[in-house]
Amino acid sequence: MILDVVDGGLLTTIQDAGRPDWTHLGVPAGGPADPWSLAVANLLAGNDAADAALELTVVGPRLVAREGGVIGIGGADLGARLVGGRRLEAGRSHRIAAGEELAFDGVDDSRRGRPLRGARAYVALVGGVDVPGVLGSRSTCLAGGFGGLDGRPLRAGDQVRSGPSDARRPATDELVWPMEDDAIDEGTRAAPVRLRALPGPAAGLDSITGATWRVAAAADRVGVRLEGHDLGSDIGGEALTHGLPWGAVQVPPDGHPIILGPDHQTTGGYRVPAVVISADLPLVGQLRPGDEVRLVATDRDTAVRALRDQRDRLAAGAAALLEAAGWDRLAASAGG
Amino acid sequence: MPEAVGEPAIAPFGDAALLVTFGDRADPRVTAQAGAVARLLEERRSLLPALGRAVPAHATVLVPFDPLNLDARAAADLVRDAVRAMTGTSAPDAAGDAIEIPVHYGGPDGPDLEEVAERHGMSPADVVELHAGARYRVLFLGFAPGFAYLGGLPDAIATPRRPSPRERVPAGSVGIAGEQTGVYPLSMPGGWNLIGRTDAVLFDPQRAEPALLRPGAPVRFVPAR
Repeated sequence: MILDVVDGGLLTTIQDAGRPDWTHLGVPAGGPADPWSLAVANLLAGNDAADAALELTVVGPRLVAREGGVIGIGGADLGARLVGGRRLEAGRSHRIAAGEELAFDGVDDSRRGRPLRGARAYVALVGGVDVPGVLGSRSTCLAGGFGGLDGRPLRAGDQVRSGPSDARRPATDELVWPMEDDAIDEGTRAAPVRLRALPGPAAGLDSITGATWRVAAAADRVGVRLEGHDLGSDIGGEALTHGLPWGAVQVPPDGHPIILGPDHQTTGGYRVPAVVISADLPLVGQLRPGDEVRLVATDRDTAVRALRDQRDRLAAGAAALLEAAGWDRLAASAGG
Repeated sequence: MPEAVGEPAIAPFGDAALLVTFGDRADPRVTAQAGAVARLLEERRSLLPALGRAVPAHATVLVPFDPLNLDARAAADLVRDAVRAMTGTSAPDAAGDAIEIPVHYGGPDGPDLEEVAERHGMSPADVVELHAGARYRVLFLGFAPGFAYLGGLPDAIATPRRPSPRERVPAGSVGIAGEQTGVYPLSMPGGWNLIGRTDAVLFDPQRAEPALLRPGAPVRFVPAR
């Protein structure tokens, strides 16, 4: 499959599992802001869960199929459609014919006046996206200007090719993700969005969980800034620079928390009173400016259980897709 | 090796990492200890795939782990083990030839050189002499790909960060912020006082060793004109 980029959209990057092994050199780990939805898109396309796919942000690209094929769409509903044609729902695979134009305009004409939920959609091509690996990953590293397509977001004139060509499974265009297994879809509907958090190295978790926050305009892959309250300099402030995990909630001296995203700096010098649990990071990746958020204190056992449950749900969804597509039988006969 | 700096505090940092804390201030001995523990954990990672890449800093090591395959308590035991194994061993040899970074000081390459000089009541040439005369050591990397925190800046030219950051600092810019000096590996926003610029490539993901400056390495700045 080959897609010509007519318009790059707000911020379209290529993401796979990222570069977690290079953080000691200051390289952000990267990877999808919503790993659950990347996995859904990939599984729908017959790929592995963390193969390289497109990550779309709020307003997606315009893509013309030079060569047709099947795509899987996961994550937010960005109003995906074929120009002059049908809607392309998230949580499904779709066959795209040569010459058709895909749009993700961030609005949905069929639901006039109803805001779309979520910030990011993932578009997987059968066989993944064919760009060279850099430091073990195809992810676009915006901070370093490498990876993905020349280390930058997609823009008009680019070409997105599927590959490597040895797609693991034949393309099927009739697949639907079992939405009852989509915890993230459900979590994104909540208002306020609830994010479970553990205490960080600095004091102040109680102050953060006590308030309902609003996502500021400054929400990107590096971090999501929260506003609506001011934690002041009792909670916010500087700290001796230390390493940071994804999901850490930093509070600079201005008292406004920032939930760190996948492109966060590997080290930081602000206080960290809270950390969002791993199972809720996909929800952070779906926050858009204006969304209401509450952080809710939890414990480590609950956090690990939630992550295990999420992995099991993904495996169950993947198994259901295999069954629906008949891929398991094909794989068995090919392997036999 | 730095003499032993004592048992570190090991605490969970979220559900998928530990923060190992060796002290509460930036002491070169403590930083060396943190770096050594991070290196040892990296060596052991091939046998312990549930451990992630350790990230050392001034006085801490961040140790990521996969919580579905390793319990936080077990991860803490692995760290404690590594710290014990460090005791009595010597630090990696960080002596030897310094990495030399040629710097064009002042002018358009170092727009803040005169201001820094004025602040300390000296001439720009004095600042250059002090900056290029000192011997530095890479403490750790962070902030941006290939950005090294360097220890060893002479107190006489320590200068607070600029009140408002520049939107674009050119790649290779050499700056001072507080007691730190460093080189911007890439063009990016930044609030350091820029005193010069180097043509050396600090970070290249295509190189076998992507980062020019690696933890523990000695570094010198050499005036390029």
